[in-house]
Amino acid sequence: MIDRMREVFTAIQAWIFEAAVQPVMFSLGLMAYAEDAYEGLGMAMVGVIEIAVLVALFKPLEAWRPVEQWAEKRAVRTDVIYTWLNRLGVLPLAIFLLLVIPVNELEIWLRMHGIVRPNIEDVMPWIERNSIGAFLIYLLLLDFVEYWVHRGQHQLNWWWALHSLHHSQRQMTFWADDRNHLLDDVITSAAVAVAALIIGVPSGQFFLIIIAGRMIESLSHANARVSFGWLGERLLVSPKFHRAHHAIGVGHEGAYRGCNFAVLFPLWDIVFRTANFQSAYEPTGIRDQLQGRDYGIGFWRQQWLGLVRLKASFRGAS
Amino acid sequence: MFNKIKYLRNFAVIALLAVANVWAQQAQQGVAFVLNSNDDTMSLIDTRTYKEISRERVGREPHHVMLTPDGKSLIVGSVQSHDLMFYDPVTGKFQKRIDKIIDPYQLAFSHDRKWFVTAALALDRVDIYSADDYKLVKRIVTRSGPSHLVFSTDNRHVFVTLQHTNNIAIIDLIDQKLVATVPVGKQPAGIWITPDDKHVLVGVMGEDFVAVVDWRARKVVQRIRTGAGAHNFIPMGDRKRILVTNRAANTVSIIDMDTFKVLETFRVPGGPDCMELTADGKELWVTSRWIQKVTVIDMDTKKIKTQIPVGRSPHGIFFNHHAPRF
Repeated sequence: MIDRMREVFTAIQAWIFEAAVQPVMFSLGLMAYAEDAYEGLGMAMVGVIEIAVLVALFKPLEAWRPVEQWAEKRAVRTDVIYTWLNRLGVLPLAIFLLLVIPVNELEIWLRMHGIVRPNIEDVMPWIERNSIGAFLIYLLLLDFVEYWVHRGQHQLNWWWALHSLHHSQRQMTFWADDRNHLLDDVITSAAVAVAALIIGVPSGQFFLIIIAGRMIESLSHANARVSFGWLGERLLVSPKFHRAHHAIGVGHEGAYRGCNFAVLFPLWDIVFRTANFQSAYEPTGIRDQLQGRDYGIGFWRQQWLGLVRLKASFRGAS
Repeated sequence: MFNKIKYLRNFAVIALLAVANVWAQQAQQGVAFVLNSNDDTMSLIDTRTYKEISRERVGREPHHVMLTPDGKSLIVGSVQSHDLMFYDPVTGKFQKRIDKIIDPYQLAFSHDRKWFVTAALALDRVDIYSADDYKLVKRIVTRSGPSHLVFSTDNRHVFVTLQHTNNIAIIDLIDQKLVATVPVGKQPAGIWITPDDKHVLVGVMGEDFVAVVDWRARKVVQRIRTGAGAHNFIPMGDRKRILVTNRAANTVSIIDMDTFKVLETFRVPGGPDCMELTADGKELWVTSRWIQKVTVIDMDTKKIKTQIPVGRSPHGIFFNHHAPRF
């Protein structure tokens, strides 16, 4: 069954590539990047399937056990735009084009200075022949990196100026996962890409890690009263656990400027004492929104205001 | 009675010879190795049944294979794990791994077995190793996407396609330096040398031709129109004809290396890339990258005989009973 699905997927991917993508690349003199384009097309197709799965699974979930209900949903529609841009690969492509040269230069510099990337397979040779084990280890390591990136997004004023856009959604649904400032996306992608380079995540695994991560992250933003139980809440980030991270006050204030920073595994919050299992389905948003601060409703307005906040943060304002 | 014994003896000899012939053929045939670049795996395919026997994990992002000069090992170069993995070329049994070989996208031994040269496509350099111990002797920074390589007959020069600057590089292996670059066309990929050592053939992937380079005069003397995305070569074992894949056109062309004329072009779907031709010239095995299959062409009819599903982005291919390379 899975083989058959993969076969159909590949046939469609090859057909679209040969009919539409490759001729354009050929005419633009970009055939040297044909493999990258083919992979990018695959990612975009996976993105479309992902969105279909998200709608099929999480829409009914949100309708079944909603935390909140709203009459006006314009803010959610903007999040849908972010999701399509991300899952279709438009933003990842732009970020890739921005980062490919510096990341490659970094790789060349490391090689020229005799610094050989550590191979996890060298330390743990058994994972070379155990794809599931390798996948889980890479997933855990990258999640660790993302935990600390996320801590930085809350801790550093200039970074919070951008990241606060993600937290400003007061109608949080599964679409909210991709709602980020573009500059925030570039910075976090760069950090994760450099980490992936240093850790040495294989390209095939990276693809799966991104898909698995995105599905869990979308679920964790769902407007649903869903908890994974005492043990489950400690194993995987749930809608309940992540809602505390988005809660007004507790989600962005206090000693650590928030709680529940983990993206996939609450383990990191437990280890670094930032976990909060007490909060229960609080309203989401940022406290200054209650005093009337505007974070924008439409896509461009949100992006612009993010830059305004960034500039203000450099002057010492919050 | 005597005649009967003689008859039986002759029958037994003939029967034994027939069995020996079958064994010899079977020993000659065997396993095809296909590198699945985006899966970090190698498919081992039974060349008699056209079935995938197994799929082995190799290094990260393997691209090309090369037989060692003694024929005892097949080397798989992996560009992300920066290593070479050695396998028995008949059985596929793993032999050893050599690490710290940087970005070995394409690999080749000089004919005198002195040098092992790699083209680092992503990291922009050509590395010259001693073929005895795989120790780095010289690193030549090209800054231009070195892709495929071939040696001159006298082993003095190695020619390397430079994908990002539309040139080929000529590297002198005695002085161990880049001595010239020759513009050939957009995104040159595969490269081969004619048996008379006079011309270098270059698959110009960003265009629809094979460039014929008089490498001593350092200029393109002819363009052979084959098809869009001319890519990689494999000789047909008769010192006269060579095959080239046309990746965007989904075809393979046969070129006469004496006249530089296209003798025939036939369809091979799915982005044909690397090839291997059986010693009897009857089957052409081609990696079809976009459809994740190996396409086997019946060379009598030039039609698809079968297609074998493999992993993602199948690239390098090898089997032991291939046509002579010269």
